Amino acid sequence: MKGPENIRSRAVSFFTEIGEISYFALRFFREVFRPPFEFRELIRQCYNIGNRSLLLVCVTGFILGLVFTLQSRPTLMEFGAESWMPSMVSISIVREIGPVIIALICAGRIGSGIGAELGSMRVTEQIDAMEVSGTNPFKYLVVTRIVATTLMLPLLIVIGDTVALLGSAMVENLKGAVSYQLYFNEVFDALKYSDIVPATIKSFFFGFAIGLVGCYKGYYCSKGTVGVGEASNAAVVYTSMLLFVIDFIAVFVTDIFFEVQ
Amino acid sequence: MQKTVAQKVRLGIFVILGTTLLVSALYFIGNRQNLFGKNIELHSEFTNVNGLQLGNNVRYSGINVGTVKAINMIGQSRIVVSMFIEEKIAKRINKNAVATIGSDGLVGSMLINILPQEGTSPPIVSGDTIQSYTKIGANDILSTLSVTNENAAILTSDLLKITTKIIEGEGTISMLINDTTMAENLKLSVIELRRASSGANEAIRQLNGIIAGIDFDESVAGVLLNDSVSGEKVKKIITDLESSSGNIEMVSAQLDEYVSEMRAGEGAVNKLINDEVFAQNLDTTLLNLKEATNRLNTNMEALKHNFLFRGYFRKLERQKKKAERDSLKKLKK
Repeated sequence: MKGPENIRSRAVSFFTEIGEISYFALRFFREVFRPPFEFRELIRQCYNIGNRSLLLVCVTGFILGLVFTLQSRPTLMEFGAESWMPSMVSISIVREIGPVIIALICAGRIGSGIGAELGSMRVTEQIDAMEVSGTNPFKYLVVTRIVATTLMLPLLIVIGDTVALLGSAMVENLKGAVSYQLYFNEVFDALKYSDIVPATIKSFFFGFAIGLVGCYKGYYCSKGTVGVGEASNAAVVYTSMLLFVIDFIAVFVTDIFFEVQ
Repeated sequence: MQKTVAQKVRLGIFVILGTTLLVSALYFIGNRQNLFGKNIELHSEFTNVNGLQLGNNVRYSGINVGTVKAINMIGQSRIVVSMFIEEKIAKRINKNAVATIGSDGLVGSMLINILPQEGTSPPIVSGDTIQSYTKIGANDILSTLSVTNENAAILTSDLLKITTKIIEGEGTISMLINDTTMAENLKLSVIELRRASSGANEAIRQLNGIIAGIDFDESVAGVLLNDSVSGEKVKKIITDLESSSGNIEMVSAQLDEYVSEMRAGEGAVNKLINDEVFAQNLDTTLLNLKEATNRLNTNMEALKHNFLFRGYFRKLERQKKKAERDSLKKLKK
């Protein structure tokens, strides 16, 4: 009897979690358009999330393009199709690999950071103190962070994609004697709006998911300092899973609307 | 406060950088698809577009000049492909240009090649339809290859039969390969042929020398070869000669017949020549005729002096003299 009960309790817990996150998201949408607006805090969060992640994203993107090109080259060389490298790498990075990898990196850095920060504030009763003092902690802490991640992640992904393509171009330039101009000509020949627009729209959802899950886990943190660690860890795990679900849905929708072939 | 301003500046730079990159990428991609420049619309009709898609490149003499805008099917098999062509390049494309569907490399994406044609024609304008030419597709090539393969299989089978026969010593080729005596004979024949060929070459060389030595300008040969009037005359002479030759042949045949008859002892001439008794009789007859003639002359002279016929002879003399006088008078006048 323990097995089925265990499954039942886990299922109830899962659906409760989904329901709570949905309520959390609905509360966000209610608060985001209602004044007062915390612009200063929003800018501070944008700086923390965007600028402070830039180096990590650039390094990751550069290595991503570099390694992807190095690993693909021998296979393409077997077919005598080295000239396809720019188009293959650009489409792969812009359409799928760039957004997903960079979102996962940001989920690790930003999601865990938000979870830990809000969790600490919750266990040290700072959020309760804000409520007592008349400040809306949801608007000040949650809305600003979710908006900041939603706005900053697309920019981080665009920059990360560009750096990844630069890394790929560098490998092609050094190994295949392909000029940077030729490489980017090939890239823009291969790319279409049906590649770049869905990826950009998708990245907004990625940013929203990272901010939402990180804030939810931190905002409802309990069990003291242990709970902070759990909130931080759960934020990363849940966000990563949610990113893949969003990616799947995005690919499915893109396939319907943009007729990707 | 100082830190907040610096943060704002850095954030501003970050946002501008990200936005610029995104907008630039969108611009370059749109520019590649001729969405921002001035374009004209061009159409062409095909029966098979071989997987052509919207946005595929259009090339003119190998230069990217536009993209495929629309692919519409009209009727059962006509497909109208509409293209965006850069306006500055469109001035150089004439109305007699031909559109074909090709691929970018062996396995690359499909594209439209516009090929210039010779001859003068005005440049295209927006809405024009140019001629199309459907190349042989991969399926056609593969079906041809299939037939070729079948033929190759039949050929291989026949070759196998032939080689088996050769190995088993059947047939002429087998003899050529296996019989050493025949091979030697063949070798000798080849050597002889080579000598004959060498001799023929020498003869031709000498003949060429003779021909080169002929003065075609001044000689009879030159006249015969170059003067058409003389040629016609010569032709007539040859025709006459042929006719004469025919007549001579006929006469010769008749003579031959006469001679044969003579030899056979037939005919009067043969009697004259060969019969001695006949000749003696003829001689005696001739002598008798001569004597009779003399006697007749004497009789005639006697008749002139006879009174019965004297008047008649005088009358004949007078008529004769009168005729002479008349002729003299005519001459004097």
